[in-house]
Amino acid sequence: MKETAKVVPIRGRTKRRRRPPIEDEGRLRERLAELEREVASGRQAREREGLLLTLARLVDAGARGVSWASLARLQRALYFAWHSEEVDDFGSDRRFAEALEPLLEFLYAVWWRVETSGIEHVPAEGRGLIVANHSGVLPYDGIMVQLAIRHEHPARRVCRMLALDMFALLPGLAPMLAKSGSVRANPANAERLLRREELVGVFPEGVKGVGKRFKDRYRLARFGRGGFVRIALRTGSPIIPCAVVGAEEIHPVVAKADWVGRPFGLPYFPITPTFPLLGPLGVIPLPTKWSIDFGDPLDLSEHGPEAAKDPILVNRLSQQVRETIQGMVDGRVARRRSIWFG
Amino acid sequence: MPRVALTGTASYLGGRILRRLVDARGADAVVAVDIAPPPVALQGVRHWMVDLTLPGADRRLVDVFEEEQVDTVVHAAFFTDPRRDAAYSHELESIGTLHLTAAAAAAGVRHLLVRSFTAVYGARGKNPNFLTEEHPPERNSRLAWVRDKVEAEDHAFSFSRRYTTLGVSVLRFATLFGAGVHTFYTRIFSKRVVPVLLGYDPLVQLLHPEDALDAIDAVLAHGPCGTVNIVPRDTMTLLTALHLSDKLTVPVPHLLAYPGADFWWGTGVGEAPGGFVDYVRYLFVADGEKARRELGFEARHTSRDALMAFLEYRYPETAARSRDAREVEA
Repeated sequence: MKETAKVVPIRGRTKRRRRPPIEDEGRLRERLAELEREVASGRQAREREGLLLTLARLVDAGARGVSWASLARLQRALYFAWHSEEVDDFGSDRRFAEALEPLLEFLYAVWWRVETSGIEHVPAEGRGLIVANHSGVLPYDGIMVQLAIRHEHPARRVCRMLALDMFALLPGLAPMLAKSGSVRANPANAERLLRREELVGVFPEGVKGVGKRFKDRYRLARFGRGGFVRIALRTGSPIIPCAVVGAEEIHPVVAKADWVGRPFGLPYFPITPTFPLLGPLGVIPLPTKWSIDFGDPLDLSEHGPEAAKDPILVNRLSQQVRETIQGMVDGRVARRRSIWFG
Repeated sequence: MPRVALTGTASYLGGRILRRLVDARGADAVVAVDIAPPPVALQGVRHWMVDLTLPGADRRLVDVFEEEQVDTVVHAAFFTDPRRDAAYSHELESIGTLHLTAAAAAAGVRHLLVRSFTAVYGARGKNPNFLTEEHPPERNSRLAWVRDKVEAEDHAFSFSRRYTTLGVSVLRFATLFGAGVHTFYTRIFSKRVVPVLLGYDPLVQLLHPEDALDAIDAVLAHGPCGTVNIVPRDTMTLLTALHLSDKLTVPVPHLLAYPGADFWWGTGVGEAPGGFVDYVRYLFVADGEKARRELGFEARHTSRDALMAFLEYRYPETAARSRDAREVEA
């Protein structure tokens, strides 16, 4: 009995251990590939579990589960939740723009109730230089012009706004502007974009415009040195004048304390009724009623690219564009009955 | 038979160039010039020990070039990393290139190819998004590392203006990144925690070493072409690169970053002095249009490919993760 008891399990085990004969190698290979795919998909599912699950896993594991690697993974998930892995060569990130869009749309449709007219003057294809008046302390007007063209124009064109150095190099704002499609204002950048048949938006008033005081509102400052006209002449791009009304009142600048901003590299430091009095609340722009008007395109092709070297002509064209926009702004301001309701 | 002389063969890029030249032209057509023998045992390559920092280096180089009938010189003896002994790197890079160029001109060399860096443009806020070869390099950089490279370029061009027989090509390579590359940049990407600048995320260009070698081939085939940028197919943001590598980034305000980097550099812990903070703050993206137009050279790899090549070599798991995430997205 003892012997049989010893023998039986051994025999049984050897039987169970014996591999089934290989019937069909192809089928086995298929099965192997299938298993490999399963493992891979399991790994993928774990890797792309996204932000919430990563957070939940961290909370669940508690302090025990926190390591450099887990923190790095969390940070990675946080970053790629609103950034894509690819940017275009000017640094614009599609997913970032999409992530920001709800907030900007809220500003566009609800907060400022932007009314856009003359969108048909913006070319449906090919290069074009949109020239607008600048105001509002922070570059909200650029973002709204960009949004207006993207949403109201039938071709859904993307307008690359040229951002002033003070914004394009400001910590925090700099990567946000670049990723949402703005480009640092620089003649080389503008020319490169126009030669790629893109739509470019520019604010020739520059710092003088965006930081102007409340008492100077809707009086356009000097248009730089006419650099935008030279670029348009060199690239043969039409100039589309654009008047933004409403942005001047979002942050009424009553005084300036430029000495505060200078150590931080800012050309001005605005004082508004709410800022810096109310601290962070003062950064919220006032909900005025906005309108964005596009005017008749100015075709400069008759002058030819050589005309860019003629300073008198450049200055005359620059003046002409400035007066056109001033006229559009004046007309709109005169028709407006209320700052808040239009 | 005219031969190619190559300096800096003990360095990573120099060693790779040497192997590529030997593969293409045979061991007899290549001469290695360095203070150390080449890292790879390449049979038949003659190695001349020349110290470029010594006062008599130019005379010795003339002898070497004449004896070997050299008609092309590839000069790759440059430091990729910032060094604490600034005097030595100045002697090697600036004065060494002066010796080398003088010798090349005297020995009747036709083509001098100098390895350089897109970092010589300097990372400035005022830079356009694409730096073309016409953009002046940063001669008065606060980094000795940059100043020495610019001086080396200038020496090469000043000799080619005086000696019409000597043609010069200066190849400004973007940051090299790939399997086996060891620079201060890849060392930073090998740490667990990486300090970044609060509120800045500039575009970077990471160049795959294969593309660098292809570019050298293209220039050798084309002949002297002046300054040319050699850049990857595209750009990526610094934070994207760091997060794809699974790094924990710690944002530091830039006002603290400059003195902080200088402090750690001074203690011997840091990888780079404070002047390099500019390179993670502002962009210095170079334009590869001239290489495309004149040499017909276009990089085969993107910045992401170069990063992945590095990760696959250093962190295979992270590379696999990043690749999977990409496939799922596609």
